[in-house]
Amino acid sequence: MGVAEKDKPIANPLIVLREEFDDWAILFDPDTGNAVGLNPVGVFIWKLLDGSHTAEDILKKLRESCRNVPEEVEDHLQDFIQSLVERGLAGYEAKKA
Amino acid sequence: MAEKKEDRRFSLNQIYFYLTEGCNLRCRHCWIAPKYQSENNSYPSLSSELFRAIIKQAKPLGLSGVKLTGGEPLLHPQIHEILEEIRVHDLRLTVETNGVLCTEGLAQKMAACKNPFVAVSLDAADAETHEWVRGVSGSFEAAKEGLRNLVEADLRPQVIMTIMPGNKDQMEAVVHLAELLGCGSVKFNILQPIARGEKMHEEGQTLGIEELVEVGEWVENVLSSSTNLRLYYSHPLAFRPLSRMFGDKGDGCGVCGILGILGVLADGSYALCGIGETVPELILGHAAKDDLEDVWDRAPVLQELREGLPQRLEGICGQCLMQSRCLGNCIAENYYRSQSLWAPFWFCEETHKRGLFPGSRLALQRSRSGIASQ
Repeated sequence: MGVAEKDKPIANPLIVLREEFDDWAILFDPDTGNAVGLNPVGVFIWKLLDGSHTAEDILKKLRESCRNVPEEVEDHLQDFIQSLVERGLAGYEAKKA
Repeated sequence: MAEKKEDRRFSLNQIYFYLTEGCNLRCRHCWIAPKYQSENNSYPSLSSELFRAIIKQAKPLGLSGVKLTGGEPLLHPQIHEILEEIRVHDLRLTVETNGVLCTEGLAQKMAACKNPFVAVSLDAADAETHEWVRGVSGSFEAAKEGLRNLVEADLRPQVIMTIMPGNKDQMEAVVHLAELLGCGSVKFNILQPIARGEKMHEEGQTLGIEELVEVGEWVENVLSSSTNLRLYYSHPLAFRPLSRMFGDKGDGCGVCGILGILGVLADGSYALCGIGETVPELILGHAAKDDLEDVWDRAPVLQELREGLPQRLEGICGQCLMQSRCLGNCIAENYYRSQSLWAPFWFCEETHKRGLFPGSRLALQRSRSGIASQ
């Protein structure tokens, strides 16, 4: 399945992004104390999870901004967003009835 | 018949065998502080019968690997027999040795075991400095010969160097020496304030905390890029860059193994680890009279740790984002220094006091105004 065109993932506003000197970062949930490491590409994507970018938009920006983007990037992006959603670190805005 | 492994919440994954009470070197910083064993005297070592009995009881509890350390493990009079026992039981082998007694035959015997990993102490790239640290002349060439024998046996030994003011300037040279000898990695140990190391700390013979942090950053970010060898610096996980743990050449961020490890001292005592040599209340039983399963399942200290880690950790460890992996860095050492299982690790406390602890790894960050925020 390709990246959804219309859904605009949004970062959980309660999660804190802690950027470090080597462009990696930690996502930290102050409620649970859980922490997850992000590589620089993950940080780049995280910052675009603002509810105004679709996964396709993010993909486009990734291709524009990063070198040596692998062919499977679409699947990787999908998996990454899905894993953030499953961990409660990101989600999608509820659609109006 | 295959041995039945019971389904248990906490497997006994690995046993650390402190095989000998004596050691053939007199290292000024040793955290175990064994007695010096020369040609004229000898000290007790774990009997091979007891070793066999412990392995037999431990396998159904989940044992998959052993670490042989000391004193000096290769000083054990039945070391060949012990290595054979480990091979027969298909246990992963880790050895920590000073390398002096590592003959070709012993190296081959270690290489025949499952996933052998051998670490050899080398505290300098020259004999004078190494032997100043190790206290016995001739030990430098002997350790190098031991390393050559290990490499010849197709092992890729790790060189371990404990850094202190007297040898710090040789870190790069030790890496080059390790490359020349064909080693696989170099680990730089921070001198721990336990036993002889505690005396050195008290007498100001160790590197200051600021310098330890600086050296760590240099190893992680500069020295590591200058060699194909894997380099490790023994600062706590909170100080390790994420890229060095999870990047392309990363070596991971393992969880501290304390909940799956048991120590056995040379006299057959079960202990949290070698700390039992200096902290009697961390001795959990004795192999000659206690059933290992009873000790592993019911020793109050182990039960307390299983219930309390990591959430009961105090001080800086209680605020650290790495706590569920680091588990206080070294519970035994924390206990040695404070008589509490939940006390924070000294290095992290000291760095936090001086504003050197990485803010991004704390649950609450302190701003310049002193106001805490997330």
